[in-house]
Amino acid sequence: MKNLAFLPFALLFLALGLIVQPAAAQPQQEDFKPEDMTTFIIQVPHGVEENGIAVGGSTLSAYLFFESYYDGNMNVTMEFGLPEGFVLHEPSVHTFSLQTEYDDWYRLVEFYIPPDTPCGTYTITSKAVIEVEGTKHTIVRTTQLKVALKEEVADEVSVSQIIIPSDEDGYGDPSHPSNTLVVQETSPALKKLLKVTDLKTEKEDLISTFMGIELTNTGNSTIPVMVTYDILDTKTGEPVKAFKPDIMGMNADTVCYATVTLSPGSNSLISLPLYISQDALGGDYLLRVKVKLTGSDWIAVTKDQKITAISRRWGPIVTTFTASLLGLTALGFFFSRPGKIMDRFKTRNLVLIALFGTVSFTVINLPMTILWELSHAIFGPFSFLFTGLFNEILLYMLIASLVVLIPKPGVISLFMMVRFLLGGFITGSFTPITFITLSVNAIMLELMLYAGGITGKNPAPDNRFRMGILCGFADMVGGYVSFSVWMVLYRLFYSDWYITANILIDGFLYTFIGTWFGISLGNRLKKVAE
Amino acid sequence: MIGARSIAEPTIKDTVIHRMDPRAKILILISTVFVAVALDNQKTMFLLFLIVLSGFVLARMPAIKIKTLVLLLVLLIWGTIYSQALFYSQLPRTVIFTIINPDFPILGWLTGGGLFVYEEGLHHGAIQGLRSASILSLGLLMCWTTDSRDMLNGLVGLRVPYSVAFMVITAVRFLPIIITEVTTVITVQRLRGFNPKKFGSGIIKTLLNILTPTLANCVRRTGTLAVSVQSRAFRANPDRTSLKKLEFSNLDKIVVAVCVSAAIGVVIIKLVYNMYTSGIYYTSGLRPVYAIAGGYL
Repeated sequence: MKNLAFLPFALLFLALGLIVQPAAAQPQQEDFKPEDMTTFIIQVPHGVEENGIAVGGSTLSAYLFFESYYDGNMNVTMEFGLPEGFVLHEPSVHTFSLQTEYDDWYRLVEFYIPPDTPCGTYTITSKAVIEVEGTKHTIVRTTQLKVALKEEVADEVSVSQIIIPSDEDGYGDPSHPSNTLVVQETSPALKKLLKVTDLKTEKEDLISTFMGIELTNTGNSTIPVMVTYDILDTKTGEPVKAFKPDIMGMNADTVCYATVTLSPGSNSLISLPLYISQDALGGDYLLRVKVKLTGSDWIAVTKDQKITAISRRWGPIVTTFTASLLGLTALGFFFSRPGKIMDRFKTRNLVLIALFGTVSFTVINLPMTILWELSHAIFGPFSFLFTGLFNEILLYMLIASLVVLIPKPGVISLFMMVRFLLGGFITGSFTPITFITLSVNAIMLELMLYAGGITGKNPAPDNRFRMGILCGFADMVGGYVSFSVWMVLYRLFYSDWYITANILIDGFLYTFIGTWFGISLGNRLKKVAE
Repeated sequence: MIGARSIAEPTIKDTVIHRMDPRAKILILISTVFVAVALDNQKTMFLLFLIVLSGFVLARMPAIKIKTLVLLLVLLIWGTIYSQALFYSQLPRTVIFTIINPDFPILGWLTGGGLFVYEEGLHHGAIQGLRSASILSLGLLMCWTTDSRDMLNGLVGLRVPYSVAFMVITAVRFLPIIITEVTTVITVQRLRGFNPKKFGSGIIKTLLNILTPTLANCVRRTGTLAVSVQSRAFRANPDRTSLKKLEFSNLDKIVVAVCVSAAIGVVIIKLVYNMYTSGIYYTSGLRPVYAIAGGYL
């Protein structure tokens, strides 16, 4: 009973509480403090909080931002005021409504500073009139923009360092030679896969490296800049397209830039991606870094640095390496069991091989010592049409006739060995090219002729067509290896069309003709031997 | 007139170069080949070429040999210059002459956009020609200062199987005979109305007509020679003794040691440097090595 006595008082307090609550909320509106319950930012140009800098003739974007922390509706009228002479490209007054807490509004307002604007510091004002529940509050923001002479800006900003290649943050990496780019070719297998699957080269596939650019601002103004670069031909000064390839249908310029705001008296390190296409050639280039003041096309600073691009064509490198390994393995195999190999040949066979070696030296090597160089000097790229008569037709006539006379595995290797040693002793041509080319040629011929049944247990060396085709293919491989070795070991260049023409005409056609006639010759010699 | 004999035959004299052991010469040649292939620095390549040429001065080579050498070098270097002037594929490159215009029917398409002579290619060819020139010059110096029998002894001394050495000896011994035979056959062909200098079918016909009688003679000779050799106990014993024992002199040993060490050193340094430039392997401890390779090799 005693507890029930409090009930009427409790109900009375509850009722009073409910009545008083809306009345207590009323003073909150009256206490709306615009500075505390909103954020109002003005940046001129965009990204610069205060003391921005610009030059005459620039188009800048001012950034206006307004955010509400008030849990209710507010109407805002934003007025953007520019100094006299500045040209605004859009209305100066913007009206918007923010509905709830954390609702915001922002706008990039473009304006133009005419070229004849006198140098000096200008004040830019933005006024926000906030209407909350019928009450208006005003916030004003001002910022300074310095209009400077171009020379003044150019004196304040400098590119203090270019680091190429660098990591993603622009820092140099000592594990890579400085000022050097490595142009890697995409593996032929990947190229084929991309073609088959109809996939285009993606942006990431083109990225080669990054470059770090250190910028210094020695002035007292905050300077917003845009940094970009070009890789130029050192002779013509023209940009090299292969270093700014199209990326997913877009010009590389759209991704090869960085914007940065340089604080007074600061150094900033930025990084830019460097894309290299497959077509890029090795050589010396000029890297030109350009720093533009934001909003202007005027280039405030340029810095040039010589760079070298090293072209790595893995195809010839791998071919040379494999061919060398193959040649050395074959030599090692021979030196590990010379007795076993040589005992398979009668003395008569060895003498015949030696004499064929002498004939090949007399009719091929000796005249070619002069003719090879002479024809290269006279006919240039088409000399192979002439030298092929000796190097291919004549040589394969000898090889084919020798195989007809001695259809044993190993006969071609011994013949090639005699040629190599004879050439070395008489004309001093103990060169790696001769060794690798001859050894690969011998291995390919031996394998193909054995697999094709030309040599071996039941030899059939009379099939002209089969032997011609097999020798042709073997020589095509040998020809490709030879070019690869020239390119890798002697750092020589050859066009793809030239290599193809050589391989097809010299490597296949001439070899086929030589083999065809060689079998007839061998059959005639067989009769002499009998 | 420079003939086959001036290219092929050695000139025997008593000079430091002539007295060197043939094995030493072979080892020096192999070492030089490795160095020449490894080098990229043009000044060092030129220095190597000059060192090789100084061998000819030491060997007191006769004028005919020097003429032959000069002719071969000029042709070799010019051939490299010409080919590289056409195929140079680095930038910058300046076209100084157009051989095939890109718009030229068929050939323009076949050559993948024309054929030009590039100024920078001439320079590149001249530098790269030095590499081949050094190897060729040293090879010729070795051949012209060493009797072929000594050379073969040297090969056998370097563990080349005797059967192979025998084949090379046979080939060398029959070289003058076969050259004479080929010359005779060419004379006969000319008398029969063939023109060996006529380009095209003339050359092919001449070649076929030269090969058939020459090889027929070789085949006939083979039987006789084989019997003769076998009757002198060829391959009767696994090891063969030699009348003339080769011995390295102290100078030979020093020169070979220097050349082989230099070759190994240069090749290793270049290998390490290439691994560094390709991003395969880098260690800061090897920085002096990278500096040497980049600056001098």
